[in-house]
Amino acid sequence: MILRRLAIAFFLTLSAVAWGQEQAFTNRSTELKDRAAPDAATLKTLPENTEVKVTQRSGGWTRVDAGGQQGWVRVFHLRFPTTAQAAESGGGLGSLTSALGFGKQRSQTTTIATTGIRGLSPEDLKNASPDAAALAKAQSYRADKPTAERFARDGKLSEVKVDYQ
Amino acid sequence: MKSLAIAVAFAFAAGPALAIDFGRILDAGRQAVQSAQGSPTSKEFSQEDEVALGNALTASFLGASPLHPDAGLQRYVNRVGKWVALHSERADLPWTFSVIDTETINAFAMPGGSIIVSSGLLKRLNNEAELAGVLAHEIAHVVRKHQLTAIQSNMKADFWKSVGTSVAADRVKIGGGAVGSTVGNIAKPYILDAAGNVIKDGFFLRPLDRGLETDADQLAVVLATRAGYDPYGLAGALQMLAQYKGGGDAASLFSTHPSPTDRLADLERFMPTVEGHLKQPQLLEARFKQNVK
Repeated sequence: MILRRLAIAFFLTLSAVAWGQEQAFTNRSTELKDRAAPDAATLKTLPENTEVKVTQRSGGWTRVDAGGQQGWVRVFHLRFPTTAQAAESGGGLGSLTSALGFGKQRSQTTTIATTGIRGLSPEDLKNASPDAAALAKAQSYRADKPTAERFARDGKLSEVKVDYQ
Repeated sequence: MKSLAIAVAFAFAAGPALAIDFGRILDAGRQAVQSAQGSPTSKEFSQEDEVALGNALTASFLGASPLHPDAGLQRYVNRVGKWVALHSERADLPWTFSVIDTETINAFAMPGGSIIVSSGLLKRLNNEAELAGVLAHEIAHVVRKHQLTAIQSNMKADFWKSVGTSVAADRVKIGGGAVGSTVGNIAKPYILDAAGNVIKDGFFLRPLDRGLETDADQLAVVLATRAGYDPYGLAGALQMLAQYKGGGDAASLFSTHPSPTDRLADLERFMPTVEGHLKQPQLLEARFKQNVK
């Protein structure tokens, strides 16, 4: 069980390493803007499949570094490296593990795994036994309606009418 | 072989938030859609039972994964979630938002308005609009009764017989809790039985059908917009997931949920629905960063 937990922590760590890779590609020709707004000045047009580095997100916009030039592109105009290439090269499930970084950076992840990154295993969730005290505690944090309304006013959140079918 | 087992474990344990929701298998998901659209059957939980079931499931979930110790963080997430939920068609539910203390990136919706979100997910979000988008997606599952309908459709006839004969005054002591505790007071035996079976069945681990996820994404954008948030918050959160997971979505090899990339494509088509309604939508990045460290 401990080994299994370590293995899962190991995997979580590997994906945390993957998170550090901010590489993305434009999924169509798109404008690099100087601000996160549609009416911002266009710095340049990035052709489809331009490699960029993601540095920040803000609403419908993503800040990128495109070959040394910083700017904003629309959130929907980026794609992220997929595991498809790995599947093509390795095939099957082995490629899944390699796509997740399995077997790479072993020394680094072993170190991090021992620092105690905790995951939540399928066994944990299947064998869960109820903790009534924890539930009561969770419920003590509920917000009532006046509190939520005050919170919204503090944040200048103004309600909008939109229907949904 | 061992690495495969670990990979599977990873796929379930650390699947993307909003994707591996507490849910049902594909077929049950389809039934959920059909049931939600079709005529109501007598085999349905009352709202009281739905809430009790959600509480029992939440108690079990918290038995496996403890609450985050930061009370300020818990209250903050509850305020964001409650404000969004007040703009739904089920504003009257006892909405409860629980942050679990784990690096796993995930979020879960229980029937009856209990939402669980991991601190691992929170710390990868960038502003309150993204949080609102994530919570709105889970709220949408509850509003649409996606999980509840799947659970109901999976219950056998014997179960519904026990519902009919159960006495409301029943009180049950459950593991670890004192008699008269929150769960004990509200849970009838058949609800606790149902919760136990649902958990053993691996209910927490199964994704919903893509159609239900798309529905929840779209309703989430509407709810966040109604609440005054930047409607692109959910898109931002999905982009984080796409980035984190590498977009190709390894977990989809083991489950039927759509990849963040597919969901972003679906959302892009939906966004014009709300764009004409916006007035000063908020991101609230500073407030988010004060509360989520």
